Amino acid sequence: MLRIRDVSVTFPASDGQDVHALDHVSLDIAPASIVVAVGASGCGKSTLLNAIAGFLPLTEGTITLDGQEIVAPGGDRGVVFQKDTLLPWANVLDNVALGLKYRGVSRGERHERSRHLLELVGLADFAEKPPYELSGGMRQRVGIARALATDPKILLMDEPFGALDSLTRETMQQLLASVWAKTGKQILFITHSIEEALTLGTTIVVMSPRPGRIVACFDADFVRDFAESGDIGPIQSHRRFIELRQEIRSLIHQPEGARTGTLQ
Amino acid sequence: MTLAVSPTSFPPAKAQRRPSPRPRRSASTSTFGISLVTLTGLIALWFLAARFGWASPLFLPSPADVLTQFSAVAADGYANGTLLDHTLASLGRIAAALGVGIFVGIPLGLLMGLNRWVKGIFSVPIDLYWGLPPLAYLPLLIIWLGIGETSKIVLLSLSTFAPICFAAQAGVRSVPVERINAALSLGASRVQLFTSIVLPSALPEILTGLKIAIGAGLSTLVAAELIAAQSGLGYMIMSAANFLATDVVFVGLIVIAVLAFAFTSGMRWLEHRLIPWKGKL
Repeated sequence: MLRIRDVSVTFPASDGQDVHALDHVSLDIAPASIVVAVGASGCGKSTLLNAIAGFLPLTEGTITLDGQEIVAPGGDRGVVFQKDTLLPWANVLDNVALGLKYRGVSRGERHERSRHLLELVGLADFAEKPPYELSGGMRQRVGIARALATDPKILLMDEPFGALDSLTRETMQQLLASVWAKTGKQILFITHSIEEALTLGTTIVVMSPRPGRIVACFDADFVRDFAESGDIGPIQSHRRFIELRQEIRSLIHQPEGARTGTLQ
Repeated sequence: MTLAVSPTSFPPAKAQRRPSPRPRRSASTSTFGISLVTLTGLIALWFLAARFGWASPLFLPSPADVLTQFSAVAADGYANGTLLDHTLASLGRIAAALGVGIFVGIPLGLLMGLNRWVKGIFSVPIDLYWGLPPLAYLPLLIIWLGIGETSKIVLLSLSTFAPICFAAQAGVRSVPVERINAALSLGASRVQLFTSIVLPSALPEILTGLKIAIGAGLSTLVAAELIAAQSGLGYMIMSAANFLATDVVFVGLIVIAVLAFAFTSGMRWLEHRLIPWKGKL
């Protein structure tokens, strides 16, 4: 269980006016859930992820993972970045095995486990390739396999499909849904696409900017159907999907003054 | 761990869907023919100029004269040594200087990139001397260290050290922060972060620094030998010039050009071997 309690993150700005990237945010992420944070740019969703990853210090509040307070980056939280961060000098297999290597897992064992993960993301034939010979979508798949390799407690995904074309993106969403169904990982997923949020989330957290806050939470269950059928069409034309999409859209586009306080 | 799933229903990516490999290579090979023609043209022009006496042999010796002189200098020697002696003397100096540049410059540069204190302490003296033309402080080095090999090797080491040190420092600072964050979230320790991320990431910059160092070293080398030496290609050229033996001057220049070309090709080969991924991701 990941617990975020009253977390604020403030950045000093050049004009002296501090930027409140996160303002007293509280959120729980239960095991086996996919929490998707959605919102316009600047709403603090990436800041939230970076805070959980331990990449930046909190101004206020605490984040705990299974009771342990988060103070620095660590192997218990796997991160998939928007821009892939694979090592160009290592082949795909060694990239996936990197976290296991850091743990001192023997070469044979880490390669075996990495091959298994490459199979899971459909890249078994590409193990020996350098990452720069892969397409953007394939590189993100390697990134997902790499983050899963060390069996982290939670997977943090920062707009991982944002830079992909819409067709590849759909394939990747399908991949993620099937990986989630098979592994039961808890996932925090950041996106600015409402459709993506509804397709993938078991909980959708809507955030608003200046200061970054959570304005609403919704439960959804489309991802289970999606993982089973692999077909996005019927899900997105579901009545409940369309209603929720409309509701979230109006929340995001609401003029700032009209918003009520945090619902959470 | 619930990852123990057997081959999945998820469709594997097809092997043929891959970006075509390196279009750059074909571009670089296509200029090879053009360059060869240019070189041949220049040599032909030299032949013609000598053949029709466009310039006095004192200023421009004929290719045949230079060739004759080449074998003479190679066999009998000129200015206290054969051509091989002079070449080895020069190469020995530059090798020593590059050794110092690499074994002192790389570690110090890496430390300067990693640590504020090391950078604060060393950057001022390095910046100060690097701005000086090496030949300006050569007399001072000769006063301090004498006319022998030491002063020349120190001079050359100073000129190869700075570019390598700067490059290693820049290499450390050029590591993308996302790459570091990714390694940390995979559980890397500080030592692992350095060896598996920082060092390889800095390698392209370090090799670029090495190229600059070789260039700086070669030009300083010949200049230093012109002024104060008893051996070396620069010394041979200067001695020949004193006797207006232009053909020997040409022999020296050709050897230096070949050496410079060999260094450049060697560095290109090294880059190809060590960092084939440069600029790819």
